[in-house]
Amino acid sequence: MKEQINSFLKKAQKELNECKSLKDLNELKVKFLGKQGELTSFLKAMKDVPKEEKPQMGQLINNARNTIEQRINDLQNIFEKQELLNKLQNEKIDITEPSKGIEKGELHPLYKVFDKLIDCCVEMGFKVITGPEVEYDYYNFEALNVPKDHPARDMQDTFFVNDNILLRSQTSSVQVRAMQNLKPPFKIVSPGRTYRADSDATHSPVFHQFEGLVVDENISMIDLKSMLTKLLSMLFGENTKIRFRPSYFPFTEPSVEVDATCPSCGGKGCNLCKGTGFMELLGAGMVNPKVLEMSGIDSKKYTGFAFGPGVDRLAMVVNKIPDLRMMFENDIKFLEQLK
Amino acid sequence: MKVTLNWLKDFVDIDISPEALAKLLTNSGNEVEEIVYQDKYLKNVVVGKILEITKHPNAEKLDICQVDIGSKITQIVTAAKNIKVNDLVPVSLAGANLANGIHIENSKLRGVDSFGMFCSIEELGVTDYDGEKDGIMILDSDAKVGQDISEALCMNDVIFDINVTANRPDCMSIIGIAREISALLNKPLKQQLLNYDTCANDDVSNYVSVEVKNDTLCPRYMATAIKDVKIQKSPKWLRTRLVSVGIKPINNIVDITNYVLVEYGQPMHAFDQKYLDGDKIIVRTGKKGESIKVLNQNTYDVDENMLCICDEKKPVVIAGIIGGLNSCVSDDTTTAVLESACFERASIRRTSRKIGVRTDSTARFEKGVDIGSPELGMQRALNLVYTLKAGTIVNGIIDTVKEKPKNKHLCFSLSRIFKLLGITVESQKVLSILNNLGLESKIDGDILKCEVPVYRTDIENDADIAEEIIRMYGYEVYDKFNNLPLYNATVTVGEHDRVLLLERKLKYALCDYGFYETVNFSICSDDVKQKLLIDEQSTLYNMIKIANPISEDLGYLRTTMANAILSTASKNISRKNNSFKLFEAGRVYLPKELPLKELPNEVNYMSFVSVNANDDFFTFKGIIENLLRQFDLNYALNYSNLCYMHPGISADIVNLQNNEVIGTFGQIHPQVAKNFDLPTKTYYAEINIDKLVVLKEKGHSVKMLSKYPAVDRDLAIICDENITIEQILQSVKKSCGNLYYGAKVFDIYRNINIGENKKSVAFSFKLQSYEKTLTDEEINQTVNKILKDLKYKIGAQLR
Repeated sequence: MKEQINSFLKKAQKELNECKSLKDLNELKVKFLGKQGELTSFLKAMKDVPKEEKPQMGQLINNARNTIEQRINDLQNIFEKQELLNKLQNEKIDITEPSKGIEKGELHPLYKVFDKLIDCCVEMGFKVITGPEVEYDYYNFEALNVPKDHPARDMQDTFFVNDNILLRSQTSSVQVRAMQNLKPPFKIVSPGRTYRADSDATHSPVFHQFEGLVVDENISMIDLKSMLTKLLSMLFGENTKIRFRPSYFPFTEPSVEVDATCPSCGGKGCNLCKGTGFMELLGAGMVNPKVLEMSGIDSKKYTGFAFGPGVDRLAMVVNKIPDLRMMFENDIKFLEQLK
Repeated sequence: MKVTLNWLKDFVDIDISPEALAKLLTNSGNEVEEIVYQDKYLKNVVVGKILEITKHPNAEKLDICQVDIGSKITQIVTAAKNIKVNDLVPVSLAGANLANGIHIENSKLRGVDSFGMFCSIEELGVTDYDGEKDGIMILDSDAKVGQDISEALCMNDVIFDINVTANRPDCMSIIGIAREISALLNKPLKQQLLNYDTCANDDVSNYVSVEVKNDTLCPRYMATAIKDVKIQKSPKWLRTRLVSVGIKPINNIVDITNYVLVEYGQPMHAFDQKYLDGDKIIVRTGKKGESIKVLNQNTYDVDENMLCICDEKKPVVIAGIIGGLNSCVSDDTTTAVLESACFERASIRRTSRKIGVRTDSTARFEKGVDIGSPELGMQRALNLVYTLKAGTIVNGIIDTVKEKPKNKHLCFSLSRIFKLLGITVESQKVLSILNNLGLESKIDGDILKCEVPVYRTDIENDADIAEEIIRMYGYEVYDKFNNLPLYNATVTVGEHDRVLLLERKLKYALCDYGFYETVNFSICSDDVKQKLLIDEQSTLYNMIKIANPISEDLGYLRTTMANAILSTASKNISRKNNSFKLFEAGRVYLPKELPLKELPNEVNYMSFVSVNANDDFFTFKGIIENLLRQFDLNYALNYSNLCYMHPGISADIVNLQNNEVIGTFGQIHPQVAKNFDLPTKTYYAEINIDKLVVLKEKGHSVKMLSKYPAVDRDLAIICDENITIEQILQSVKKSCGNLYYGAKVFDIYRNINIGENKKSVAFSFKLQSYEKTLTDEEINQTVNKILKDLKYKIGAQLR
């Protein structure tokens, strides 16, 4: 019987080795271990085994059972894993099929830049305020040191409704309103639409400005520079550097043009910046003491700076938009590109 | 403003390259926009003398010339017909690149060597030339054989086009720019000897007298007379200079006035004395009915707001702008009267705008000619008359100024100047910068005392001096600062604008629904009213008109958002974009009255439009519901009567608190769809942001969740078409009593089998108790009550 058990074990192991599927395995399991199975027949035969051999025989049968069971369990694990793998393989989908649900739209590039500028300035302690687009001449010009028939009026072609009311040509008008209403120290920015009687490839009669004004006791050109560096770095990247060039605006003195290193080449010079490495981006300066005084702020105590980028231009530079007019045509094929 | 290098060199020594000079000027505030080398197209072109002309053996139209070009005798084949032996002509040699794009190489013409080409004025880019303009340019006999043509033609100057800022009228002149260069290069200005002789025994009073009736508009008027005038061509050097700065030479007297205009920035005028009635100049404003025919051949009416230079009878010049045809200097002038004056800039600007004439004079006067300038200008003009021998200068100059202009003595605070700049500049440097700029300065502790020349009208306060210092010191000083942003500023709390913030929230939501943001013009055409069916009774009818629009299409401020976004939609369709959703955040401008006396109401709106087969009224309803969910707002939807909406497929959103319309949405009016070339099923919405922004955020009060299971049931009923879904759901809710958890419609079905004007409405509802698990009996009782109530209230039958 001992030999029988051993040869059974060998045979069983051989058959299990040849087993190829979970189904075959289950059949073998019944064949070897089932109630009518071969191992059971050995157990049945135990009654004929002499008493003193019983423990040894029993041990032998149990070992054989354990060995086979172990082997079957191992194989079962292997086959089940294999089967799962096959199943997963068969369920594979084409992930390049189109997505479902509503396709998202997108903000206009202009307002994306506006929002970024606003958020950056609010973080720096600026209050965002808006003002009327149809404005009195006083707020747009006179209170900004540009009396009627001043030559500086030629710097911009203004739309007039009548002698006294115009479409603001600059968001600086909001500066004046703010200076008259707020007590220094304050920091404000004013985003909005502006209007000039100008229409060509680089000028739109309706355009957008983002005016900033800080009035405080110890504000200098250095604060202007550091603040603008932060603002422009936020738009164009950490390593952006800026430089000042002298300029003239009636409401600031000294006045500067602000250039930033070209975001495309980082200052080395490329097609975008016409080889100069810099991009002319905005005008800025220290608020003219005359303007402070006109708004009732003591210019001996307080200084201030102002800056006013054209946001249309910034949006064009950020997104490398080749033609200003595309921004206002709103062709969906243009807008889709900015997703 | 154009200046030339040689002209500047009359006033200051310049020993750096034109490029380096341009950079210095630009970096100190006078931006050089362009540098033009006059000899750009004249390289390798020399003066040649034709020694011999022979016929070309193989070509009838060609001649072979032997030409002396100084260094050698060379051979040139030409087709020119206007040349003869001994003529001096411009000869372009191999390597020359001419103004018309021709590049010269040695060549063979029909087998004969030709080592260059004779040039026409066009090929050389010469504009000031009195000779025959066709054919080869024949040079004056003073040209030297072999000389560079640029020298022979006095075309070896460098021209700078400078963008002079509006605060520096004094820089609208050669001397003004020379002063800047003198300060930049730390080189003294060359003294100008403006000497001339006068005829001692013949006084100006014998020729003209001056009366200024309005000395606000004309603070200074100077005049003198020149007798025995010999009108002729100006010398070449003078003509060349005028041409190089873009002024056409006319005759010696006119050229002198123009020369002074450029050199000293003082506009001048010359009258023919014999045409001044009463030998008198009266400076006064125009009178009704007066008019004047001027040099541009037009006649202008003058009025009491326009300053004129008049004689005893009539206006002869529109002051500072343009001279009259009847009194100008011409070939038969024998006595000329020279005017050198200053006029109030605003008045000149207004008049120039009004009549639409702008001259070189106007350009200076409207920026401001200082009160010292007429004297200097007059001296230079007389000096030129004298040196050019243009006539005899009579004794005396009339001058109406009451008080001789004096330099201003001003005090500034160094500490405040440095506070503005953020840097400290050593006293020695401050003094040298200011003194070089002609501002004689002294420092006494914190006080900076400056003597400001009359021509520096722009210098008034600390900030002005700060700018003078920093633009000369160099803005590069700031390159090295890398401070923390706003390090020196007081800490303030940042704050968003509520309207912009709400707009942003709504924009993000709309983007999630597939809408793209657009930016449209807020100005539009008048015909918008017709296109949108806006009638005269509507508040949208009164649009603010722009007085000076760039075109009629952009002549009015919009009163509605609809036009812009529907036009954009239409444009997209015309570009074969067939399905899209767009939105815009913007303002409309509602005048309180027209014509406008005070500022209009500017109302912030969000508008959106869908051209998409999947969308309908209810898509928009869903979007609106979701957009409004955040607010503490009780609203109703009423059929809208907004003129551009479909009256049966659109709704006003009405705030039940105050009955105000917050917005409108739905299908656009079919006629409007047609007017904009849009599909009939175009959906549009507009929401008044200003009415939303004042609303509170919706508050919440959360109930405990029931421990007992909820029961779901579905029912389908048939009812009349005019029964609304709202009526059905209200009835269901009431029938359920306190077991009600929720109910919603999931299908609406219409079919002739159901009955005419009938619909089937299927809805599901959920019942739940806080106290116990509901029994079948309780549920059935509720269902029966629902059906009974529906039958009783709205005549509905179980389907």
